[in-house]
Amino acid sequence: MSRLKRRTALALSMTAGLALVAAGCGGGDDESAGLPADQETVAGDGTGSPPAGGDGVRLGILGQCEGPFGGFHEDVVGGATLAMTQFAGATPGSSTTALDGFTGAEVAGTPIELVGIGCGDDTADRILQEVRRLVEQLGANVIIGPLSGDEGIAIAEYAKANPELTVLAGISGSQEQTLQVQAPNYFRFYGDGAIWNAGLGDLLHNQEGWDTVAVIADDYSFGHTSAAGFIADFCAVGGEVTSRVFPPLGTTDYSSYIAQLPNPDEVDGYFWAVGGTGTQASLEAFVNAKGDLTGDQHAGNLFFNPGLAQALGPDIAGAYVGGFATLPGDVQTPEIENYLAAADETWETIPGALSGNEPAPPSVAAAFGFFYGYYTAGVALVEALDAVGGDMSDLDAFHEAISGLTLDLPYGDISLDENRSGVVDVGLSRLVLDESGEVVQETVAIVPGVDQTFGGTFSPDTPSPGRDFPACEERDLPWEGNAIPVVDGVPQS
Amino acid sequence: MTPALIDADRSSSRRRLTELRRPPVWVAAVIAVAVAAWVLFLADGTPAGAAVDDPGKFLVTVLDGVTFAGLLFVAASGFTLIFGLMRTVNMAHGSLFLLAAYVAIRVQEAMVGRSRNIDPADVGLLDWLVPLLAGAGVAAVLGLLIQQVFLQWNEGQEMRQTLLTLAITVVLADQMLREFGGLAQRMVWPGAVTHFFSVMGERYAVTRLVMLGIAVLVGVLLWLWLTRTSVGIVIRAGVDDRQMVRGLGINIRRVFALTFLVGSFLAGVGGVLGASFAGAAPGTDGSWLLNALVVVIIGGLGSLKGAAAGSLLYGTVVAFSPAYLPSQYSYYAIIMTFGLLALVLAIRPYGLFGRPA
Amino acid sequence: MNLRERLTGETLALAGLVLILVLLPSLATAFFVNFVMTQTLILGLAAATIVFLAKYGGMTSLAQLLMFGIAGFMFGNAALDGGARGLNLGWHPWAAVGFAILVTTLAAFLLGAIASRTTGIYFLMLTLVYGVIGYFVFAQIVEISGPGGITSIQRPDLLGPPVRLYYAGLLLSVVVYAGFRTIRRTAFGLALQGVRDDPIRMASLGFNVPLHRTLAFTLAGFVAGLAGLLNVWWNGQIDPASISIGPTLILLIIAVIGGISSLEGAWLGAFVYVLVFTYLRDLPFVDRIGITEARFNTVIGVIVLAIMVLSPEGLTGIVQRLRGRLRRRAATEPTASTGGSLPVHTTTQKELGGTRS
Repeated sequence: MSRLKRRTALALSMTAGLALVAAGCGGGDDESAGLPADQETVAGDGTGSPPAGGDGVRLGILGQCEGPFGGFHEDVVGGATLAMTQFAGATPGSSTTALDGFTGAEVAGTPIELVGIGCGDDTADRILQEVRRLVEQLGANVIIGPLSGDEGIAIAEYAKANPELTVLAGISGSQEQTLQVQAPNYFRFYGDGAIWNAGLGDLLHNQEGWDTVAVIADDYSFGHTSAAGFIADFCAVGGEVTSRVFPPLGTTDYSSYIAQLPNPDEVDGYFWAVGGTGTQASLEAFVNAKGDLTGDQHAGNLFFNPGLAQALGPDIAGAYVGGFATLPGDVQTPEIENYLAAADETWETIPGALSGNEPAPPSVAAAFGFFYGYYTAGVALVEALDAVGGDMSDLDAFHEAISGLTLDLPYGDISLDENRSGVVDVGLSRLVLDESGEVVQETVAIVPGVDQTFGGTFSPDTPSPGRDFPACEERDLPWEGNAIPVVDGVPQS
Repeated sequence: MTPALIDADRSSSRRRLTELRRPPVWVAAVIAVAVAAWVLFLADGTPAGAAVDDPGKFLVTVLDGVTFAGLLFVAASGFTLIFGLMRTVNMAHGSLFLLAAYVAIRVQEAMVGRSRNIDPADVGLLDWLVPLLAGAGVAAVLGLLIQQVFLQWNEGQEMRQTLLTLAITVVLADQMLREFGGLAQRMVWPGAVTHFFSVMGERYAVTRLVMLGIAVLVGVLLWLWLTRTSVGIVIRAGVDDRQMVRGLGINIRRVFALTFLVGSFLAGVGGVLGASFAGAAPGTDGSWLLNALVVVIIGGLGSLKGAAAGSLLYGTVVAFSPAYLPSQYSYYAIIMTFGLLALVLAIRPYGLFGRPA
Repeated sequence: MNLRERLTGETLALAGLVLILVLLPSLATAFFVNFVMTQTLILGLAAATIVFLAKYGGMTSLAQLLMFGIAGFMFGNAALDGGARGLNLGWHPWAAVGFAILVTTLAAFLLGAIASRTTGIYFLMLTLVYGVIGYFVFAQIVEISGPGGITSIQRPDLLGPPVRLYYAGLLLSVVVYAGFRTIRRTAFGLALQGVRDDPIRMASLGFNVPLHRTLAFTLAGFVAGLAGLLNVWWNGQIDPASISIGPTLILLIIAVIGGISSLEGAWLGAFVYVLVFTYLRDLPFVDRIGITEARFNTVIGVIVLAIMVLSPEGLTGIVQRLRGRLRRRAATEPTASTGGSLPVHTTTQKELGGTRS
């Protein structure tokens, strides 16, 4: 017994030793944030205090290197980096990957230093740990990111508790992070998941003559938000949603959920917001039970992107697809060409997700929403710094400058609403077959100036989009009838 | 646990008798009758409606349950085979499942010559069977490798083996994410089987029956292998008494290796079927490990009969709950699995056909 | 226990460690204390419940993170007022604490009762299924959470400053460690260890075997619930992904890294895990050999694999072996090599392999 005890004693003292060594390491790692914990207790806001902006921008980028969007890590970091090389004179750290960051970025005499890249895994817990590492250990005072919706809510709450921080959201698509959390230092130069489907209802009801629609969406925040945008739009212009089906995330066999949908002769069309393996599995279950896919009876959110859902079969051609910030490659304006060329000049190749994480021209990644969303955040940072003359000492003034920005960007102007969420142009497209029989997207319309509220359907007082919310109600939409048609890649304005 | 252990020593008929007297059995019987009555006559406010009113939907749901059970059986059979002989809970089963799926998808893409929007009409039978064998073959070889390198020398230490395979799962999942990316991919059924027929006015897919057919084939072949070949007899003897088999001078190590090879191959077959049925993506490994676990916990670890029964019960619950729960509760369908599990465990802690090892 | 017994080297070392940890906030950076060490203590507490069940009860549980999560969700539901999701009961924080702990303990009792007749591998698999079902319960039932989870959870004013949360974690860790060590010698603890070693004999001696297991599971659930409360206060939010299969396995891995048969190993494992997670990528040139933060899971997996191959008793086992070797060199006294065998293994082996019928 006593021998055993002595052994435990050794183990314990080893633990203590290890703890001390590590404490030393921890202290040595960060020169800037070396505040002993006891001194820091006065802050009392629940988290550490990042150093205020005297010595320039210390930028942290929150990406996702694991989880379902792990393949897009390169893309999102690339987006933020391109903004720095294009507008802040930065040099990329490598010509074949964006993950090596950049050096030498400076705006109006204020340097922008990249202190770290956070690695999320699509969960709020992980991204909170990553942001705390960036802010509390590495001393970041500006964050670009995160990527997904639930992460966005967590980071917005974190920003609210840490007013010294400035967060420019990436492509995080939940409504709540701006509409309900209302952190004054949290900005999103991008649409939310509902906005991306704005205009689709107008198009389907008024142009394609759909009066009734059945909605099937993933039963989680993004599925709900995506469906909510479509429902709000379709109902606002006078359409009717006859059934809503929400299969749980992780469903393997969709047949029982497809059975809950009305038959093709009972409804004018279907709206799909099922992602991951579900996109194809649910469509196949539909074919198995309801009949062949006829493209003109289906519409989907961005999951219907042939780049994301590589297995999307040719039968789906004809379906309408909601937007995702960038336009399909068939639209080429001089601004878009410049932007893509700038990406190609910054790196030789980057291994983005759309090229299967194999080296590819950077414009492949840049032409897609993941990259672009982080790019808009980077541009906003540069322009805001410019607007305050590089002086971040007055954070309120800096935040006010960000709120007042109107960014002139390749895929349309972006400004912020009073909740600091983007008012954006949405591009709607249709799936068509190209000469070689591949399913590709073709732009059909651009809906300008879409905001988060959908004419009042969503407000800070309404609940988050859910299985029953929003209800189907007719109301005035600011953008009804304003869509600019696009023919053969040329906007007809 | 204790009553079960003691029961095991008595004759099985007497065990059944004593078990029948236990209240959980009665509860289970009452629940089964109530569920049947609900589905047949009372389920008016549900998505599918009472079976007597809409027999077509009922029949389709039954078919859904049975065909999905086929896929579950293939996925679980390898798992239960390995456990039955070696007492190894192969937590890497899901990883092998997913790896086979990815490999098969790559091979199919190479054979068809395009990587996206593959039309079933362009997929010949061979374009599906060859990838199936390739994927399952890779899974089998990797499984054998895992067994030889990590499991062979610590036989009998179940918990250590379980944790080893768990660690392998973590590594494999991460490496597959690196190699195959995070986007969902899928196998395409051959055009020869993508047809439909009508069940009382409801359209039904032949592919689902093909899945069931393959499962039955796998089950029959496994049964023949275990009962009609000398290796199979050794395996069954090994399940009952390893020491005795060893004492008879049989090289049980080789039998172990073979079992692991076959078990991993079956995981691979399941993976390719699963990828054809529902696609493959990161996370598929975890959910299919879980599916296999649920099946064998219900059916009893190490029993082929149990895997079949467990698959059928689980498949039925998965198909029926979304269709026959009242509409406002259909979101809770996935939780019904738990009800099934609790019910089975309350009656038989080691599953329907399991024995307290 | 007399004074001399208390003044062993172990107690002294423990006191020294606690003293260092008490002084740590004035020695180390805020980040190290409020992030690294606070997380270590929280995860250590939760992992200690796995060790407790494995070491004294012979049950390796994967449901401890579920208990951890239930407490967090219940606190969020009870304490929040006007949040976006959940019940928003708006109770006083300490009433919410009581509620959360009560619900967690009840849930542990119920789940423990169902699982109490299984052991070893069966128990492991069943509790894994618990974990996953728990995930779906919170993901699907929007009244108590829904997929987005509960956000903006504030801690009670008493624990406002982050360093107080650290001290709360430290205090709880000390109390729980001492409590688990004391329980070993109580009548309940002795009976529990008897149940672990020979359930049949214990049953024939008149002990209620399932009840002992259930109570142990309930106690472990209660402690995991306390850790779960600290966790939501530390993290400010909880969602179903917090208790999904990934983190569930991570918690077991933490217990395994430290040594699943040593209580102090739980905290050691948590410390190593958090250190690797936080600092590994800062090491110079580590990304040159392919270990970027993106491959963090591979690193953790390989560490566990190495530990399970080299020393299934985890890091504490390695330390003990080193010490044994040192002593052998110092004195010629032969060392007991029993440190190399793991109680859990011997017991599970006995129950799974030894009593086959």
